[in-house]
Amino acid sequence: MPLTHPLAARLASIVGARRVLERPAELRSYESDGLPGYQCTPSLAVFPGTREETIQVVRALAETHTAFVARGAGTGLSGGALADDVVLLGLHRLKRIISLDGDNARALVEPGVVNSTLTAAASVYGLHYAPDPSSQSACTIGGNVAENAGGPHCLKYGVTLNHVLALTVLLPSGEVVHLGNPEGEADGLDLLGAFIGSEGCFGVVLDATIKLERNPISVRTLLADFSSVDAAAHAVSAIIAAGIVPAALEMMDHAVIQIVEASIYAAGYPTDAAAILLIEVDGPGAGLDDDVARVSNLCTAAGARGVRVATEPADRARLWQGRKKAAGALGRISANLVVQDAVVPRTKLPAVLADIHRICAAYRVNVCNVFHAGDGNLHPNIGYDASDADESARVHAAMSDIMHACIEAGGTITGEHGVGLDKLPYMDALFNENTLTAMCTLRAAFDPERRANPAKVVPVHSCREWLASPVARASRA
Amino acid sequence: MAGVARGAGEPRMTATVVAADVASIAERVREARATAVPLRIGAGAHWLDAGRPCTAETRLDLGGLTGIVSYEPGDLTLTARAATPLSEIERVTAGEGQWLTLDPHGSADGTIGATIATASAGPLASAYGTPRDHVLGCEFVTGAGDVVRAGGRVVKNVAGFDLVRLVTGSWGALGALTEMTVRLRARPEVDRTLFVRVGGKSQDAIATAAWRWVREGDYRPLAAELLSPSLARRLGGDGDAQLLVRLGGNAAFVRAAADSVASVGEMQDGAVDAWRNLGVSERSGSMVFRASALPAQCGALFAHVASFADAHGGYAHATLARGIVRCVIPPSDDARAISEMQAWLTSLVSTATVIGERLPHALWPSVSRASDSQALAETVRRSFDPDRVMNPGILGAP
Repeated sequence: MPLTHPLAARLASIVGARRVLERPAELRSYESDGLPGYQCTPSLAVFPGTREETIQVVRALAETHTAFVARGAGTGLSGGALADDVVLLGLHRLKRIISLDGDNARALVEPGVVNSTLTAAASVYGLHYAPDPSSQSACTIGGNVAENAGGPHCLKYGVTLNHVLALTVLLPSGEVVHLGNPEGEADGLDLLGAFIGSEGCFGVVLDATIKLERNPISVRTLLADFSSVDAAAHAVSAIIAAGIVPAALEMMDHAVIQIVEASIYAAGYPTDAAAILLIEVDGPGAGLDDDVARVSNLCTAAGARGVRVATEPADRARLWQGRKKAAGALGRISANLVVQDAVVPRTKLPAVLADIHRICAAYRVNVCNVFHAGDGNLHPNIGYDASDADESARVHAAMSDIMHACIEAGGTITGEHGVGLDKLPYMDALFNENTLTAMCTLRAAFDPERRANPAKVVPVHSCREWLASPVARASRA
Repeated sequence: MAGVARGAGEPRMTATVVAADVASIAERVREARATAVPLRIGAGAHWLDAGRPCTAETRLDLGGLTGIVSYEPGDLTLTARAATPLSEIERVTAGEGQWLTLDPHGSADGTIGATIATASAGPLASAYGTPRDHVLGCEFVTGAGDVVRAGGRVVKNVAGFDLVRLVTGSWGALGALTEMTVRLRARPEVDRTLFVRVGGKSQDAIATAAWRWVREGDYRPLAAELLSPSLARRLGGDGDAQLLVRLGGNAAFVRAAADSVASVGEMQDGAVDAWRNLGVSERSGSMVFRASALPAQCGALFAHVASFADAHGGYAHATLARGIVRCVIPPSDDARAISEMQAWLTSLVSTATVIGERLPHALWPSVSRASDSQALAETVRRSFDPDRVMNPGILGAP
């Protein structure tokens, strides 16, 4: 079949015809990300294999004022990588680890390098890449940068922002700029900080200089078993207030435990527990046992029925498997799933968890919670059948009420998944008009034509001048 | 630099406008646009006196914006107005066994607003990071006169584009920070300061041994500064270069870490005041800059910078974990000394990143670096300050 999209032949001349897709059947593979509730079909998909091809592709898009969406592994949970009748720019073929420097604990990587691949490569130096989203075996560094991804261990080690020293960025205009400083302190405006978490709206990462972390000398993973969610939430507050910074502090409620234990990811969690906490403490040997004892005592004082300490790597890996694969286990029991990502002040956790249960009972939907309790980063999940219109409506109404409850508690709508499409409706409730306008202003400095990942992150009505611009009309045409 | 002494060669301030609340700041900024009279933002009256080439002659005095707005010990977060002194935050949080882990060089009356606006950091940044790692949310008045509230009060937040990181360290060139929410930490159970005389035949060898302990040892200190001999003497040590180490954690950890540091040299306990003294040890009007490179080059960089500092009556200290060497040279009006320093800085810039903290006007061009993101930075700046009324010139040309 001949290529018919007006840009197809030109892009094929850069990347080869095999790397340009435009048949509906082929494009269907890219109609969703990790959140299957949204489907958008790109007008065309192009997959450059080198940095130079990427630059040429983006310049061709710039010359023709064509809107595009960059995509890594498509594991995001906000609909951020969906291309709605615009060009999809797939970057997963740019997967070279360009250099690894053990002495200085850093790596230079292309955007398509998979998160856990980088950690595996760095392990020969006793180093690892700290941000560890549950999708780490598939998600890419470029996607992590776009979303400012986190993960359980960012409680102690920080998020993507804290591990990227410099970026080479391809602006939507086709211009290449360097942000940050790979070899020393950065100075001037923190454009690197502004770029990280910009959800593909500011440009495309060509390479990233990553700060690696040393592997901890000793690690203990604690499993604390509670007969009420409230008691578990109070234990979280007590641990944080005591000044102990665990490497990770995760909560799973009864519903999640049941689902995980019935799956191939069964981790040996107590199935009669109302909630469990998975707490990891790491550091040099000295002092570690004292921290473990203190955490254990705080859990017991908060009402834990028991606390188990895993030291052996195999035991620890099993405990983590249940947590990391919980989303996969949830997928087994429901065709569709909504996942939220709100963050609340940690002292508000018990009250907000109670609110979530009350809201879901009122709408007759089944919620389960598996989340980063130490950061106050909630992930309420609701499984449902999207073909049931009544159930879908109740699920979305419940999620909306949950989001507003989190905002009212002084929280935010997303801690690590990004706004994308999914959380766009809540941006107005969180930020005033001046702030949304300032975000549009910042975006316009990077992408004046607003062609990179259009209509995401900031509600379009906040950018009135954009609605009136010819480019906006052309990109929808 | 939240509290440096006044430098030489500043443009004279011809007028001061005072604004004590956000609405009147926005009003003053809009007036500045209408009358084309640019503003120089100040609260503690120190932070712009770094010799940075700011050309505004009218000061926008935010000194009235003081006070802690809210403090939630259980959440380890605090919200304060911009001109609140760091010392007040320290006092209030100490009552709860907590602290704000930002210790910029300068006197204790330095303000939280200046610290964030200039992204100033001190020794504790080794363990806790710089202002960009501490600010959770902020309010600022843009150069257009709009009041923007960015970020939030929670420790993890990716909602929308990151205006918080953008204004942190922007030197007021995008707008005036009026309020900020910061992340606090619990104070460690044990907080111990040690002077360590690191063994080694040369400055380079000493620096390398100290660097290895900090970067590759089992125990991460809260702070570790390698002091040149003259600075070590000022702070109560003897004639050699010394490693000033701060260990924090539970008792077993601190005991084991102290045993470990003893393996690199003879040590003695110091007072925690040593850190405060380090922050204020420079003479008024001194020339101050930081040089940085890849961490593994920090030892050689320290040796190079410290010998220059020694030869000019100054001193240097290296934040080993971050690969940064800070150099302080006493003030000089001698044209020959300035030109010698100019030549030396120009050569240093070819091998290291050099960032000025406080320099005479003549030396700023020597430390400015060309970058292919300059035009983008200028576009961002113009977008937030279309009439260039906020601290014009402070980030350099144009």
